[in-house]
Amino acid sequence: MKLKIWIMTLLLVLAFGESVRAAETLSVDIFGPGQTRVNILVLPARGVNGAAATSLARSFSEYVQGDIGFLPFLRLAYLTEVLGGDPSKGVKADDIDFKPLQLSRIDLVLTISGAGQDIEARVYETFTRKLLVGKAYSQVDQGGVAHVADRFCAQLMRVLTGKSGFFDSTLAFSKKVNGGKELFTASALGRELQQVTHDDGFNVSPSWSKDGRKLAYTNISDLGHRLGIWDRGSRVSRLRKFPGNIAISPTFTPDGQIAISLSLNGHPDIYMLNSDFKPSAPLAPSWAIAVSPSFDLSGRKMVFCSGRLGGPQIFLLNRDTGAVDRVTYEGTYNTRPSLSPDGRFVVFARMTGDGHRIFIRDLVVNQERQISFGPGNDEDPSFDPDGYFVSFASSRSGGTRIYVTTRYGDPARLIPTGPGDAMAPAWGVAQALN
Amino acid sequence: MNAKRIFSLMLMLCLLVAFGAGCAKKTADSMPAGATKVEISDKDTDWQKPAPAPESRSLTEDEIRAQQREQAQREVGNMIFFAFDSFELTPESRNVLTSKADTLKKYSLFNIVIEGHCDERGTSEYNLALGERRAKASQQFLNQLGIADSRMTIVSYGKERPLDPGKTEAAWSKNRRDEFKIQN
Repeated sequence: MKLKIWIMTLLLVLAFGESVRAAETLSVDIFGPGQTRVNILVLPARGVNGAAATSLARSFSEYVQGDIGFLPFLRLAYLTEVLGGDPSKGVKADDIDFKPLQLSRIDLVLTISGAGQDIEARVYETFTRKLLVGKAYSQVDQGGVAHVADRFCAQLMRVLTGKSGFFDSTLAFSKKVNGGKELFTASALGRELQQVTHDDGFNVSPSWSKDGRKLAYTNISDLGHRLGIWDRGSRVSRLRKFPGNIAISPTFTPDGQIAISLSLNGHPDIYMLNSDFKPSAPLAPSWAIAVSPSFDLSGRKMVFCSGRLGGPQIFLLNRDTGAVDRVTYEGTYNTRPSLSPDGRFVVFARMTGDGHRIFIRDLVVNQERQISFGPGNDEDPSFDPDGYFVSFASSRSGGTRIYVTTRYGDPARLIPTGPGDAMAPAWGVAQALN
Repeated sequence: MNAKRIFSLMLMLCLLVAFGAGCAKKTADSMPAGATKVEISDKDTDWQKPAPAPESRSLTEDEIRAQQREQAQREVGNMIFFAFDSFELTPESRNVLTSKADTLKKYSLFNIVIEGHCDERGTSEYNLALGERRAKASQQFLNQLGIADSRMTIVSYGKERPLDPGKTEAAWSKNRRDEFKIQN
């Protein structure tokens, strides 16, 4: 069904007459020093030729507004903010009176129309009246309308920011099942939820390969720790035992290798595995615990957690020079770092008097700030492929659930993952399984 | 006359008492010598298969092993506990481990699994490593007391299997532990 939607989408997008020149119009720098917030108004969905909107179009509108709520650089405006109410008679630029929208400081206006199983959606910039995004979708049904709304918002985010990793990613996470834990995947909005492993025991610490085709994780059972590799193509996972007692925090490097904490010399060190899963010499070895490696996009910078100076702290390894620098100085318990793709920012969990909280450190200007605020414990932070969103697990609502914020500490949003505790979210660049 | 009557009355009284006392023992003593004693029972009797005489059966090897295993698990099952973010053995833990070493020497056929556990306050991956260090501390101590490493397997569960799900220091202190389980 979705394939059909895609084909029809491609064909129908071409049918839109108005040109889209986003580069010359409004853009949002989500990485700028101060975040711009753009006001967007979603006008009521319409039918064709004055007919009432279809329930499908109304559903699409609701999903789009829900998705926009995840984007902190957009603020959903209400129709009551507009002088004179709804300023439109149709869904195209000629049918919209942009002046009251401009007076009400509405930056973007989104129109939706639907007939049968067809949906059209357009976003105009109110000050220039230009069409930023125009899409038409055919053969949509209620089961697929959420997915279509997500794709539309991905395009909107791409036009505004140049990034769309949030919508184009798949989250993998660990979830409690039958007294153990298995791995699940879902879109960043919690859709397409699927259990992907059935290993028994506890499957923890998932990490995506860069191409989104494999997941590495740790399986814990009475047999000890094993490295699990789940293959997206075959949907099969294989477990592998290593000498020593542990196989903790396996992490794919951008070039497809796996870094993992093993205890080959009597204490946990981080090793790089070759294609035959043979460990090389340890990276940044010490007598103490070393776990949780995370790499930048070049693969040459690695942050990790180590107890080499006493309590657990975050360190940065330059793989070219071998230099190891301490990253965290405040707090006595800093763990589970994630390095941004550009290698500039590290997010990590710090134990505070109120529980664990997520902090971010800018490695260039050496400044640190808190980006999650509980209550309960906030753990397992992970950067999205754009280095803008940060997912984490939190016990703020009782059970442990997955939330998403940004590196600026925007209000955290719950990602629905169904009943049962969910934790250790990891972003993969591939789209959700269908 | 009066004296005779009184004497007669006393004699009759004595005879009555003697007669009454004799009745109380009738069932026990009244059977003539050489007579056959018959016992009456309401229980059903299996006329076809007379009940076999109880014979003393020796336990099979498996049963003996199972008994020994159970006994060994009882003796080796005491947990030891740790301070927060620590894998240092306390003096009390050392005493418990010394006793375990004696048990493992006594039951030399059995191997053990040492499970390292942590409380929920630490984060998952670091706790998996810490749990291993805790189990390793026990393994090394037992090894120093003469228990071969080959008889001991380590599994760290980190904070995945708390003993007490509570959110208090009392619960957390129970969860920072090593567990010992007979393996084979």
